[in-house]
Amino acid sequence: MAEVTPMEMIAYTGSRVLQDESIVFVGTGLPIIAAMHAQYTHAPNLLMIYEAGSLAPILEMGMPLSVGDTRAARKATYLKGLCGVFELTQRGYSDFAFIGGAQIDMYGNICSTIQGEDYRQPQVRFPGSGGAGAMAANCEKTIAIMALEKRRFVKQLDFVTSIGYGDGSPDYRDKAGVMGSGPYRVITNQALFGFDEETRRMKLLEVMPGVTTQEIQDLVGFELIIPSDVKEMKLPTEEDLTLLRDKIDAEGYFLKRQVKK
Amino acid sequence: MKKIGSSIKNISQVKYDEKPLEFWGPTPDEARKIMVSKPKGLKDKRTTLKDAVQKHIKDGINLGLGGFVNTRVPVAAVHEVIRHGVKDLTLSMQSNSICAELLAGAMILDPDRVSIKRAELAWWGYEIIGIAPLLRYMTSNGMIELDDYTNYGMSVRFKAAAMGIPFIPVRDHGGADMELINKGTMMECPYTGRNVYLVPACHPDVSLIHVTAADMYGNSRLMGAQCTCSELAMAGTYSIVTAEKIIPDDNIRNYPNLTEIPHPAVDSLVEVPFGAYPGACYGFHWFDMDHIKMFRAASEEFRKTGDKTKLKQYYDEYIFGCANHEEFMEKIDSETIKKIKEMDGGQPIILD
Repeated sequence: MAEVTPMEMIAYTGSRVLQDESIVFVGTGLPIIAAMHAQYTHAPNLLMIYEAGSLAPILEMGMPLSVGDTRAARKATYLKGLCGVFELTQRGYSDFAFIGGAQIDMYGNICSTIQGEDYRQPQVRFPGSGGAGAMAANCEKTIAIMALEKRRFVKQLDFVTSIGYGDGSPDYRDKAGVMGSGPYRVITNQALFGFDEETRRMKLLEVMPGVTTQEIQDLVGFELIIPSDVKEMKLPTEEDLTLLRDKIDAEGYFLKRQVKK
Repeated sequence: MKKIGSSIKNISQVKYDEKPLEFWGPTPDEARKIMVSKPKGLKDKRTTLKDAVQKHIKDGINLGLGGFVNTRVPVAAVHEVIRHGVKDLTLSMQSNSICAELLAGAMILDPDRVSIKRAELAWWGYEIIGIAPLLRYMTSNGMIELDDYTNYGMSVRFKAAAMGIPFIPVRDHGGADMELINKGTMMECPYTGRNVYLVPACHPDVSLIHVTAADMYGNSRLMGAQCTCSELAMAGTYSIVTAEKIIPDDNIRNYPNLTEIPHPAVDSLVEVPFGAYPGACYGFHWFDMDHIKMFRAASEEFRKTGDKTKLKQYYDEYIFGCANHEEFMEKIDSETIKKIKEMDGGQPIILD
């Protein structure tokens, strides 16, 4: 068995959590790879929404390098603009949002705007919400996808860009006026997380074979819920890896990226 | 004091200034008045980019940028704006890459020629190619005021403007820090009694849009994803449209359903093949990653070292050294042009 890289593990796990006969609103990079892998394997009728305006394109020119890539507009069933696709999410047509970000907290809120407290002059400015804030608000379930690093899994976000469960109170999302049910999974290279129904806090579901739950907790800046029945993450087969490496991201645009320690 | 309808304050750490309730650009009433005052006949709108920019670009305006990240971005028009010079700009866009960075770079090189005061936006970066170094430089040095929305938020702000309404309710922003820092506001829906977030209309003074094709009157067709171009064109009080190709009016009238921007929303029209280059234009060419990387690398070098040499070289070579977009494209080698055309694959579009 060939060694599985962190990015391949994320893409494969992302694929596993997607369901057939559903619609996923994808972000650039690993979400696209995960959704393509799912289409090639267990979910042939999984359809993608791309932010610049397409629903269910056929990716015959290869993997789109961004959600605005003209390749992602090709042979779509519906092709309007940003208003068109985001209105699909508000109306309830999009089952999954697949988003990334710089930081995530225990309630699945995500930051992709700034690092530092001062909005007017932050230490580091990130690109901003893009579609993520709207996807997390209105796609039915939010799947966050990021490398498991302590600087990302933080107790306190510098800026809440994409809504999760807020402060964990049962009516947080309702008072915020958003429509989706909220955080569903957090996919990382070493662990898969879900959320506790009662407390809405992040919960460990699966870990990489050979990794202890304590090792995962040590990479996270807040207290995880760690149930007694944490499973081992499923590893991709040779076929899955061939699909990812040779067919989907043959140039290694995203899968060859390294995770910072 | 802004009324906050959700519980965001329970979790927010952000320090910010309360923003006064003002439109950054024309108010909906002002925008309507300007539109009413214009002649609406089918007139030949074709002109040069130089004349269009000369006519519409003034200090202190809100400039709307069309396209989305690297797709159908109005690069040719932005080059001309930089050559012309304009100060105290407000930029409005959902997501953009090189257009916003080009304006930022021009400000860094010569703030007496081009300057950006603020931007209302959802996203500013290069996606796969990386973060936007000049945005990062300007924000960490407090050189620009920002007003953050989501991509949907900015898109519907243009849509509300295009609809002639002063605001539009949305189902996002609430419960996030954007609710504290932007000009939107939460209110109780008069029909359901539930919270709903309102964002104000955004009317740019001038919208810059690159379209697939247009007839000489400005009736425009967008093939591929439409991004937010039709809304932006109709939101702007004036618009400068560059078209990959000018097509006969007969063709527009044969397929009127395909018109995404109607002629009264176009003030100046210029046929500019490769007008989005190094961005992509569906049906014609893919984006040129190497060229964008080259410009980004010069910007990143400045951000890291403060050395403007390479950035200045880029502008001297590709913007100030060119009288127009045709001369800019002459600097791009034919192999590159061939490659980006092939990577688009000649996607099917209706032009004749």
